[in-house]
Amino acid sequence: MAFIKIENLYKRFGNVAAVNHIWLEVNRGEILTLLGPSGCGKTTTLRCIAGLEKPDEGDVIIDGQSMFSQGFIPPSKREIGMVFQNYAVWPHMRVFDNVAYGLKIRKLPKKVIKKKVTETLESLGLTGLEGRFPGQLSGGQQQRVALARALVGNPKVLLLDEPLSNLDAKLREKMRFEIKSLVRRMGITSVYVTHDQAEAMVISDRVSIMNAGDIVQVGTPEEIYKKPANRFVADFIGTTNFIAGEISEVLRERELVSIHTEFGQKMLCKIPDPAMASTNKKVTISIRPEDIEVFKEPREGADNLFKGTIVNRAYLGNFLYLFVSVDHTMVRVQAPYGIKQKEGEELFLFLNPEKCIVLP
Amino acid sequence: MSRGNLFLSLLLWLILAIFVIYPLSFLVIESFKIAGTNDVGIQNYIDFFKDTYYLKTFGNTLLLALLVLLTSTAFGLPLAYILARYRLKGKTVLTALILLPIVLPAYAGAFAFMVFFGKQGTLNLLLLELGLVSKPVNFIFGLHGLVFIQALHLLPFIVLSLSAGFTNIDPSLEEAAEVEGAGGFKRFITVTLPLCTPNYLAGAVIVFLWPFTDWLTPMIFGQIDYLPSISYINIAYHFTDMYRKYMGIVSVVVSSVICIGMFLISKRWVESKKYTSLSKGTTLEGRIIEPGPIKRFWSYVYMFLIAVLVLLIPTVLGLSAFSRRWVLTPIPTYWTLDNFRLIFLESPGLLKNSFVFSGVSLLWGVAFGLPAAYLITRTRVRGKEALDFVITLMLAFPGIAVGVSYLLAFWEGIPLATHWIIMPLSLFVRRLPYFLRMAHASYLQLDVSLEEASEISGAGKLKTFMNISLPLLLKGVFVGIVMFFIMAFQEISTAIFLYRGGWETLPIGIFLNWHRGMEFGIAAAMAFFMIVIIFILLLIVSRIGGGIIGAAWGSSGGRY
Ligand SMILES: Nc1ncnc2c1ncn2[C@@H]1O[C@H](COP(=O)(O)OP(=O)(O)OP(=O)(O)O)[C@@H](O)[C@H]1O
Ligand SMILES: [Mg+2]
Repeated sequence: MAFIKIENLYKRFGNVAAVNHIWLEVNRGEILTLLGPSGCGKTTTLRCIAGLEKPDEGDVIIDGQSMFSQGFIPPSKREIGMVFQNYAVWPHMRVFDNVAYGLKIRKLPKKVIKKKVTETLESLGLTGLEGRFPGQLSGGQQQRVALARALVGNPKVLLLDEPLSNLDAKLREKMRFEIKSLVRRMGITSVYVTHDQAEAMVISDRVSIMNAGDIVQVGTPEEIYKKPANRFVADFIGTTNFIAGEISEVLRERELVSIHTEFGQKMLCKIPDPAMASTNKKVTISIRPEDIEVFKEPREGADNLFKGTIVNRAYLGNFLYLFVSVDHTMVRVQAPYGIKQKEGEELFLFLNPEKCIVLP
Repeated sequence: MSRGNLFLSLLLWLILAIFVIYPLSFLVIESFKIAGTNDVGIQNYIDFFKDTYYLKTFGNTLLLALLVLLTSTAFGLPLAYILARYRLKGKTVLTALILLPIVLPAYAGAFAFMVFFGKQGTLNLLLLELGLVSKPVNFIFGLHGLVFIQALHLLPFIVLSLSAGFTNIDPSLEEAAEVEGAGGFKRFITVTLPLCTPNYLAGAVIVFLWPFTDWLTPMIFGQIDYLPSISYINIAYHFTDMYRKYMGIVSVVVSSVICIGMFLISKRWVESKKYTSLSKGTTLEGRIIEPGPIKRFWSYVYMFLIAVLVLLIPTVLGLSAFSRRWVLTPIPTYWTLDNFRLIFLESPGLLKNSFVFSGVSLLWGVAFGLPAAYLITRTRVRGKEALDFVITLMLAFPGIAVGVSYLLAFWEGIPLATHWIIMPLSLFVRRLPYFLRMAHASYLQLDVSLEEASEISGAGKLKTFMNISLPLLLKGVFVGIVMFFIMAFQEISTAIFLYRGGWETLPIGIFLNWHRGMEFGIAAAMAFFMIVIIFILLLIVSRIGGGIIGAAWGSSGGRY
């Protein structure tokens, strides 16, 4: 059930369409991530949901109520919680007052405020820091205060704008899980902005990939990873190899297509959706480094087996990372640790047709 | 720590010792001397605080300071908000006008307002003519007038410091309040305003201390019962009356102690409160908004009114300068260039002195300020914090204290006061922190790695300074030079104690012509002429330094 609906949202800054007529639904209780490169319009979308930005066209509907088209509802009336990228914890207020601020505005009784704030601080491991000023807290603690402030009022919607990007790597990883379980437990519908794909994968129920103001694909982390809708998504999520080519034959009964590739050899791939499965169509094949198998010897009659030369060999602890040149096309391969070939030596790559995705 | 730096540092300390520490301690020691004997003791201070007259003077000054601060804050707060947050056409020009008093000498404003708002002034005459009042209204003579003129003069400090605060607040701090449910006014009171307090205090302390240093404005308004004014009168006119002399010196010391004390307290406080934010420079534009038509209208009206008040100063002085015997008419009736003839032909010495003294002090200021800025920002030489501290402290010292201490210290022991060199010397010391601060700021903006790259390429420290640092610092240095000159040019507080026949400067000429009573036209012409010079210099700075506002801001702090 859609709890937040973004309808035809359009926001322009000067001549740049920061958000370009996007449609998006967030279900009740789910965590949806807006993921995309810098400047693609994530923050702008989020700020439109918050009401900190007024769109030029379109509407945001929260819990059945229009936020823009039937009169502007200001942020202060939207019952949202928001965690800012720089936390925006008020430096002149103690931790307690920071968290209690919204409750005081709502004029809740003192006792209730005290109870709620104490509980929230406790659930975030901030007990004992109530009396401190933000300047006396570490970055991670400030981040938790910001989270506590956003959550304490039990908002309808929680908005998070790259909340972890100012933390160090270790803490960031830990906080991902913490935020996820906390928000889950409270069942708050959340929109989470990040440009870190690993973070998006961990934290979200669904991911919405944005590029240059458009939404390119929406789906669960698995869908996005396994079935990227286009080159941009495949490239943005994880690492992948792109091989250009042209469909030479469609083998319907085997659900494969045969593609004439840029390095002059024929390659079999899983059949794409019907619109694309026609001969002479120019396509891009995407295959991830971990989906490529490595052999020392050629095998008679095997499909998709290509000879290549190792150009670069890097040891990454649990596996090897190889750059293999297949007739001048560079292919990245994640190979098991046991491969003995050195740089300059030859080996054979097996590109499993099932794992080769054909993209427009 | 290189030997060169150490040597440089010792040299600067030597200069400070002779020209700052020695005379100022002389002043303090003098205040403990007991008249007619060789004893020292706190008798003078006991006398001072027992004498009901001086106590009352002290109270008056404190009251004036509070009222000036309150008034300038009340008027400055909305102005700062408008400047920082509203997008308005023509804002730059209006802002420049509103901030103008920062570079105008206070006495120019005082003279102009006396002519315009006085009992026989333009406004009263107009009101009488229109029949709106039956007898002249007392607009400015008295405490309220002083508060009015000083608050206007100091308004820029409040406006600039507060609007810097409003601009620099990380927008997300206010947005967070908005999201938490606090709209409009509530947000302003709970988040915006408290976050501005450090900025505000930095400006407020300058405003609060002003009445403890400005001796001339009260005198122009016929009031002498304020600490700096009575110090001046006691020392300048009653130097032979031992009791009055010592009360004058004690007043100077008391004012100085208050100034230094308040300055240090506020500095400590501001530094401890400085809210460092995590923001990644998202605040370039702050939160500039498009005001609605009503807000827009009132903003314009408000800015316009204040700009008109400021513009009155050059206008009235200009009218007086080009006329003679302007009395009992709203505007002059007899136009003439006589005043200028008198200035240029009959006393060209004033102008020459002003330019020579300011020029010489400027040379020294640069020669001292550049190395000092270098030592403080770029080296780890021992005692550089102390060096910085002593120089910065000069910001808070009343000009009158410098003047009196020079008079006392360089009379007998080191008899510099008999040579004209004392004039630029006192100017140099008075404006010591001025150029330094400008150079300091430019230095901070100059990336160290640019200099390091030059040293790695084989250039020595001095070569690097000449080839890399100086050209890159040039803009800031130039703005500093012009601002120093403007301030030295209009300085009167120190010079008034030290000048002798033939050493008169333009400001002293203004003072004397006014003081002798009848030659107000000449005084006005001189003040007008001075304003014109300041204007020209300001234009030069704003062309180079990017905006009159920036130029004026650079001048903050140094004007006691
Ligand atoms: N206030 C503004 N004024 C002008 N342009 C803006 C403004 N805010 C955003 N933009 C522009 O709109 C586009 C989208 O910006 P947005 O902040 O939404 O990107 P983002 O996806 O959040 O990027 P990042 O990951 O860097 O935070 C960018 O091109 C940006 O330059
Ligand atoms: Mg962003």
